[in-house]
Amino acid sequence: MSDPSSINGGAAVAMVGKDCVAIACDLRLGNQSLGVANNFEKIFNYDHTFLALTGLASDVTTLSEVFRLKTNLYKMREERSIEPETFANLVSSTLYQKRFGPYFIGPLVAGINSLTGKPFVCGFDLIGCIDYAKDFVVSGTATDQLYGMCESLYEPGLGPDDLFETISQAFLSAVDRDALSGWGAVVYVITKDKVTKRLLKTRQD
Amino acid sequence: MVAQPVQKVFPLTLKITNLPSSNSSRPWRIPVRIDCYLSHIKMAGLSFDNFQRNQYIASKGVAMPKATSTGTTIVGCKFNGGVVIAADTRATAGPIVADKNCEKLHKLSPKIWCAGAGTAADTEMVTQLIGSNLELHSLYTNREPRVIASLTLLKQHLFKYQGHIGAYLIVAGVDPTGAHLFSIHAHGSTDVGPYQTLGSGSLAAMSVMETQWKENMTKEECIKLCADAIEAGIWNDLGSGSNVDVCVMEVGKDAQLLRNYITPNIREQKAKSYKFKKGTTAILRESIYNLVDVEETEIPVPMEVDA
Amino acid sequence: MNSIADSFYSNKAEESIDNEFISKKLSLTPSLAMPPISKPTAFLRAHTDDNTNPDCKIKIAHGTTTLAFRFKEGIVVAVDSRATAGNWVASQTVKKVIEINPFLLGTLAGGAADCQYWETWLGTQCRLHELRNKERISVAAASKILANLVYNYKGMGLSMGTMVCGYTKKEGPTIYYVDSDGTRLKGDIFCVGSGQTFAYGVLDSNWHWDLTLEEALELGKRSILAATHRDAYSGGSINLYHVTEQGWKYYGNHDVGTLFWETKAKEGSFNNIVS
Repeated sequence: MSDPSSINGGAAVAMVGKDCVAIACDLRLGNQSLGVANNFEKIFNYDHTFLALTGLASDVTTLSEVFRLKTNLYKMREERSIEPETFANLVSSTLYQKRFGPYFIGPLVAGINSLTGKPFVCGFDLIGCIDYAKDFVVSGTATDQLYGMCESLYEPGLGPDDLFETISQAFLSAVDRDALSGWGAVVYVITKDKVTKRLLKTRQD
Repeated sequence: MVAQPVQKVFPLTLKITNLPSSNSSRPWRIPVRIDCYLSHIKMAGLSFDNFQRNQYIASKGVAMPKATSTGTTIVGCKFNGGVVIAADTRATAGPIVADKNCEKLHKLSPKIWCAGAGTAADTEMVTQLIGSNLELHSLYTNREPRVIASLTLLKQHLFKYQGHIGAYLIVAGVDPTGAHLFSIHAHGSTDVGPYQTLGSGSLAAMSVMETQWKENMTKEECIKLCADAIEAGIWNDLGSGSNVDVCVMEVGKDAQLLRNYITPNIREQKAKSYKFKKGTTAILRESIYNLVDVEETEIPVPMEVDA
Repeated sequence: MNSIADSFYSNKAEESIDNEFISKKLSLTPSLAMPPISKPTAFLRAHTDDNTNPDCKIKIAHGTTTLAFRFKEGIVVAVDSRATAGNWVASQTVKKVIEINPFLLGTLAGGAADCQYWETWLGTQCRLHELRNKERISVAAASKILANLVYNYKGMGLSMGTMVCGYTKKEGPTIYYVDSDGTRLKGDIFCVGSGQTFAYGVLDSNWHWDLTLEEALELGKRSILAATHRDAYSGGSINLYHVTEQGWKYYGNHDVGTLFWETKAKEGSFNNIVS
């Protein structure tokens, strides 16, 4: 057994565009070198707030359910959906609660604030330190490759269609250089009133 | 089932509603209460229930993942009638620059600020926690919070955790007793002095402090000195980089945060664009969800009429 | 001619390693220098074995699927082309078949450098054999030169799993499996590498002696494709070879990226993937 956060593999990225955000993840779930499933989506949405979770698959599932519970309770109490900025703080404190026994995950949050219309993305480390970024955030076993691709392909102010192509190409190139990620990919492009989910055609090796 | 935990936390809500300075008409809503629903969380604060699991995993010779750490340069310096703190803005995870423009200057109270080095999540969280306690304390005592109080709160908290909370802090601020500057190490020890440096770039910064510092500086001189010290870290320490953040706290004035006071590392504009033509990426499936407001309207039911 | 051959020849392989390190005799024959420390084997393992120590600083490229099988019309050799160092895909275009000479092929699995170096070295040994004996070397002899060599280095960190494939008059189409433990086996079907099990799955269920050449090439390609799909450390493209009495012939490079979708559409297979 090796590093828990790279047993199952997986990668995710989120980008900011002009009045839109995009978030992408791969579909692989593996056991070390063995590919086990190719339908393991790592992006979850709590109404208009999107969460990508990479890392140890059991912790991904556990946390996605924890956040489903917490956002549902929030919704009942506040009588409104949680906003991305608020959700980011919820993720942060939930992870820090396990400071000395962390979940082996790397979360990303993306969404558009329904009140201000402002696009928002942020990333976290496994104990909840928030990385507020104005451009892009990355996570997973292809982190290094994603940083490289995003730094070169990203430009500010892209519209939904351009942002989709940029995030997809950055993601696919990165994931093709990581043995533990890939096996399909999904990309969500989020605007104020519409969410488009696309399943990409990718290499299957 | 659900009702019971709600009542458990009500006393907390009432107490806070009755606080002297609370002028809110609506009872306070605290996110913390949500946690009380979760059966697996039994008490507030840190939970250790994955700790044994992870220790077991670690005992199998498995490498643990790295948290984001701020290989950092932070400094603080007093001047005539105030104090300045400054920090770089690089956050790293191993050899990777995780955040090129992060904020390492944290607000403890309106006039007490704190620069953090070490484990990023720890500096952030410990600062938020002590900041909250400080506000509650000032509400309770109806006095402005004091720097020495925040220092004590921080060092006692950090000492309790025996260095496992990896926060290295420079605390500075102004209060009714004047301007103060301290530094705290993760194990709980504290230092006092006219200037302080901490973090991986502390040596570079200290070399500037030791050569350029003088007594009775003006505000402008002090800001310049702090910024220069941070820049020394930015250039000469690999763990530090990007921009300089400064916070000025002057007696009798509001604290002033100068975010990105110096930006010596602006990325050169790309000469050409990498935009892809529409349709570059092959798609297998597409689904569109419309986010629409659902309005409830009453539809009058037609009366039943005999045929 | 023999004098030229002799100048390149030495009994190095039979000498003990210690002697080799100490002796200052100049020689063109390859030999490995040992690190100047007390336990070179343990040292090497501590610093290169990323399986037991994921934090090790030197990551040797490995992870492969290779196969070779005998059938009526000769031998088919098929290999993938991915090289990995840890989880990093170092290359998608590696040549994992070494053309030792026009009648001999060696496949490459395990340490990329180990295989490349020693199989090239095997090529020179085979050429020297030809010069000395005025006769092409048998597959049995060639594979044994390699097996003896790696056995001398046993336990010192060499990592290779290779198939020596060739055709000689007296032997016919022959495959020898040789690995760094010193194992040397003759057989009809071999799959080697991290994706070997997946390749065996396809190969065993479809192989029979009377395969036509076209069927055999397709089967070799299809077996590797299956392995590149499931095994994270195999992928890239597939290289195909056919070995006959006339020597080996190359049957092209097939990119898995497109081959996968073509195969899926043609066969109606890989139904675990949505399209």
